[in-house]
Amino acid sequence: MVKGTCWVADDYVMAYDIIVSEHWTSPIDPIENSKIVMSGVKEEFNRENGFKDKGYTFIVANHNFAGGGKSIEHVITGLMGAGIKGVFATSFARLQFRNAINYGLPFITCDDIHLACETGDELEFDEASGIIKNITKGTEMQSVPVAPFVAEVSESGGLMNYVRDKIAKGEPIG
Amino acid sequence: MTITEKIMARSSGKDKVIPGELVWTDIHSVMTMDFLGKQCFEKFRSLGKTEVFDKDKVICVSDHLVPPPNQKFANMLNEWREVVKQHDITNFYDLGRQGIAHQIMVEQGHVLPGTISIGTDSHANTYGAVGAMGNAIGVTDAAVAMATGKAWFRIPKSVKFNVTGKWQPWVMAKDLSLHIMGMMHWNGHLLYKALEFTGPAISSLSMAGRMTLCNMTVDLGAKNGIVAPDVVTERYLRNRTQDKWEFLNSDDDAEYDQVYDIDISDLAPTIAMPGKLDDTVTIDKLIGTKFNKAFVGTCTNGRLEDIAVMAEIMKDKQVHRDVNMILVPASQTVYLEALQAGHLETLIKAGVAIDTPSCASCAGLHTGVAGSGDIVLSAGNRNMAGRMGSREAKVYLTSPSVVAASSIRGEVTDPRTFDI
Ligand code: SF4
Repeated sequence: MVKGTCWVADDYVMAYDIIVSEHWTSPIDPIENSKIVMSGVKEEFNRENGFKDKGYTFIVANHNFAGGGKSIEHVITGLMGAGIKGVFATSFARLQFRNAINYGLPFITCDDIHLACETGDELEFDEASGIIKNITKGTEMQSVPVAPFVAEVSESGGLMNYVRDKIAKGEPIG
Repeated sequence: MTITEKIMARSSGKDKVIPGELVWTDIHSVMTMDFLGKQCFEKFRSLGKTEVFDKDKVICVSDHLVPPPNQKFANMLNEWREVVKQHDITNFYDLGRQGIAHQIMVEQGHVLPGTISIGTDSHANTYGAVGAMGNAIGVTDAAVAMATGKAWFRIPKSVKFNVTGKWQPWVMAKDLSLHIMGMMHWNGHLLYKALEFTGPAISSLSMAGRMTLCNMTVDLGAKNGIVAPDVVTERYLRNRTQDKWEFLNSDDDAEYDQVYDIDISDLAPTIAMPGKLDDTVTIDKLIGTKFNKAFVGTCTNGRLEDIAVMAEIMKDKQVHRDVNMILVPASQTVYLEALQAGHLETLIKAGVAIDTPSCASCAGLHTGVAGSGDIVLSAGNRNMAGRMGSREAKVYLTSPSVVAASSIRGEVTDPRTFDI
């Protein structure tokens, strides 16, 4: 069970704006990436730790969150470094959805959740049941359950750990 | 099953797969490039491995940063070279043999019909042009594939675009891409889907056109784009690979999430408005619009066929005095072929600057970036604020033929009505 406040994103939050191009060639590092995460999304986030200092735990979005087709993992490490524990959206851009699974950051599909939340609302997410409660508004929503493999990777702490473990044990993958 | 389902079933050792199912598949080749490659190798080593699954199948390319425009990139490239050397990688396309990774992967025969290849750059979807499944992944997936020769995938639902009709002169595959972009939008219809392009208007497309089409499927949010192999594919691959492959195709009773019929007979040159790729208009809405920079290149439109179209339109003409125009061939091979065909001479005489193969200004990282207030007519693939440099620049996306005709007039011009 994770609890905390949310930021409700506008439409079209692109991977490009979450991590702007001058940082694409930087190392993938949660602390460094979190300092500049979201800097291209909103003027108020465009300073060191601008997003992180808001202390949000969740992001709520409509369609195609982190779109624009960028495969860089800084997007996910930046969000994780900034304290984000879950992103709820009607849909996600494929590449970052995949990266999120690989890093064990819940990217949870939930239709129209952006209509049910406002920035600053307190939410509670139960990973096991997939229920997202909006404590501020007293409402709750059922999200789409995650595949067993995704849960397994998440429990291992990400794909690297999952695969490293298999290799060390000499177990086949898949 | 659809062709994508068949490829994924074969690659995962199954007779049948169904959309939604999660599988681990064999990977034919893994590509990584200059600014992410070192991190791939580091992650790969952290898995407890020192040798990659197949030295011939990990393809390393320098494209985003070559030749280095500053010291930071020079140092990154040196570290990258060191790491590639350390791992004794057979296929390293460094400065001198360079090209945009996706062009290299297809042109040098590193992707094969009926198999899966992945790359740490989003436009790996391009590989679908030869009937392969091309997929973009992050460095984590690349590291895992380098170690194990495998990657995990969810089987996507397939969407079919049945494309009929006759291409009008100067209308290109790019126009179809942008048309589909405007028709489908980014907002979810095609997210995670496998897009299959079929029909007579696709059969008549060259490999270059098929590459453009599959390339931009990533921008639609799709998982992959694919054209089933045919005689065009066979001819293209003949001298590029020794590997055996079959003419895999979708079954007649394959299931599709959606089927769209598009008749391209009336398809007009199409342009994406600055800022949003799916905000497209037909060229008549923009005739006469002024711009000051013109760019042809990228993994979308930097191929020989694109350059040939430009040369045909620009022969014995001059780029307008208010326009700076740059052409960046997609690879050294393309560069040489364009030179041998005489196209580069034609274009240089017309006042086009030719830059050495790289991603150039496409991602705003390298040469020819846009400054504040610039209005760019580009044959590239993305136009979000800041993509090509300044966030205050405006980028219109269109085909090489529109960029060529418009650059002569100094304003957006329909190549169909241009006196060539
Ligand atoms: S040409 Fe542009 S889109 Fe293609 S790989 Fe390079 S930066 Fe990416």
